[in-house]
Amino acid sequence: MDENTTSRVSLPKRLCAQDIPAAFREIQTLREEGPVVVDFRNVEEFDSSALALLSYLRGCFTDVQVANIGEKFEHSFEAFLGGTPPAACDVPDLGFPTRVLHSFSNTFLSQMRKLGKFFVLLGDEIYHTGAYLRTREGVYPGEIWDQLLFMGYKSFPITCLLVFLVGVTIALTSATQLKSYGADIYLADLIGYGMLRELVPLMTGIILAGKVGAAVAAELSTMTVLEEVDALKTMGVVPEKFLMVPRLIAMTLAVPLLVGIADVAGIAGGILVGRLSLGILPSVFIREMNTAVDLDDFFIGLMKSLVFGWAIVVGSGYKGLTVGRSAGEVGRATTETVVLSVTLIIVIDCIFGLILY
Amino acid sequence: MDIIAARNLTVGYGTLQVLRDLDFRIPVAEITAVVGTSGCGKSTLLKTLAGLITPLTGEVIFEDEPVDYLSEASLASLFRGIGVLYQDGALLNNLDLFENVALPVRMHHRDMPEAVLKEMVHDRLAQVELIDSAAKYPAELSGGMRKRGALARALIMDPAVVLCDEPSGGLDPITSNHLDELLLKIKEAFRTTFVVVTHELRSIQRIADQVLILNAGRLHFCGSLPEVMGSKDEFVRTFFLRKVDHDDT
Repeated sequence: MDENTTSRVSLPKRLCAQDIPAAFREIQTLREEGPVVVDFRNVEEFDSSALALLSYLRGCFTDVQVANIGEKFEHSFEAFLGGTPPAACDVPDLGFPTRVLHSFSNTFLSQMRKLGKFFVLLGDEIYHTGAYLRTREGVYPGEIWDQLLFMGYKSFPITCLLVFLVGVTIALTSATQLKSYGADIYLADLIGYGMLRELVPLMTGIILAGKVGAAVAAELSTMTVLEEVDALKTMGVVPEKFLMVPRLIAMTLAVPLLVGIADVAGIAGGILVGRLSLGILPSVFIREMNTAVDLDDFFIGLMKSLVFGWAIVVGSGYKGLTVGRSAGEVGRATTETVVLSVTLIIVIDCIFGLILY
Repeated sequence: MDIIAARNLTVGYGTLQVLRDLDFRIPVAEITAVVGTSGCGKSTLLKTLAGLITPLTGEVIFEDEPVDYLSEASLASLFRGIGVLYQDGALLNNLDLFENVALPVRMHHRDMPEAVLKEMVHDRLAQVELIDSAAKYPAELSGGMRKRGALARALIMDPAVVLCDEPSGGLDPITSNHLDELLLKIKEAFRTTFVVVTHELRSIQRIADQVLILNAGRLHFCGSLPEVMGSKDEFVRTFFLRKVDHDDT
């Protein structure tokens, strides 16, 4: 090596974890100018990070020479890392654009695979639900009832309360504007139409996503992690049927009841504000609302809610059954389920909007 | 006579091969222990025999019929013939022990009279000495009780083969010994074949008729217990005999 163009880095007497970054930076900087000799002569006190540095310099840098390694250091290196190849230099530096492209294509393919799995599960569920309705086999007796209690009865108070409050809030916000135009009575039209077609399905969907979706994902992912799903398979039980069909059927039965009661609660919120804020009598409010909405609006809201409910069950089932094997994945699956369910609800609502309006 | 055989069995995930070119036979009414270092593919082998993982190449033959992992009928036939005892039992947490044991019967024989079903579950729970715990939920049972409960569930459909994933894992020596005796008793009484993945070399000495030793995804040794004990193979001696010597001291 030409001594004139070779730089030299003398490492300090104490070479421990906190000293490595500065030394490494110096070596890297000097490497840009040409070959480097790293001198270990002064090193007396060191830890495993210094041994790792030596391993890296020897294994990964062809333009770096190490010199004057003391006997104590070499002995520790052999004892600690002897025969172990350096790990870090195995990763080729692809360059920024290639790395971005690589990362993007990997993410895209991974998302496509997940989407494919989701639709496979959706298809499975349609098939298994049909099969169950024909044969009444493959589902644990009483499970549908248990799920119905959980999804319907136990979701009823929170759904009613939140939808009532949304009704109050929307009515309060609109009342001021309507009053300024002398159009007070149209509050009834707005509340009736908005609640039946849009707000009740959306609120019910979001509440079910948070309450039911998260619970289903947590339960199924725990079962997957604890090998209960594998155990079902080896008992000849189809987990996608045994675990998901009762939930789908329970959701189908619970949603109309929830939506019906939530419609009443939301409209009640509007009536209350109409009476207290604008002085509209409840009988007048209802009569006016009846001129603006009809049964179709109720059924459209109901249909939307049913599709939201199915999306929540399939989404949470997908997250729960495709989870990995570690306990940490349970929490992640639960969180992702809520995000996935709410996203699905809004996308589906948008599609309904495009079709219906 | 063999109940299970593997021919050129290679198993993996994607491009990663976990098990390579395995050839072995599992004799009927015997206990075969599968041993090997951590990560050598023991649990993967068990899952493949249980029909949960599709081999990349090669085949598994169960009761003289090759298992078609892509055929529902073939897998259903496999599932009817095997029971699996998972490492932590894998009892369903929302069902009590009675219902856990009854579950396979409820799923496959819906018209089974309740009185007969109760008798079946009672008999199985008696075999594993858990009659008094029938109404308890898995969370209320100890580790050993959960495993015995899971064994009762694995046995209720009278499988020809029971696959056990580390039955003694995490158990104290007395409970572990008790479980080993249970396996031997069931083997004698029903001519049930057991494939037991285990690290417990004392347990192997007590129960195994045949030992499969895996090393880095390959079958390193297959033989009877006396053959293992008399082996001159360095890996077998290092893995097996020295460990036993060490345990004895």
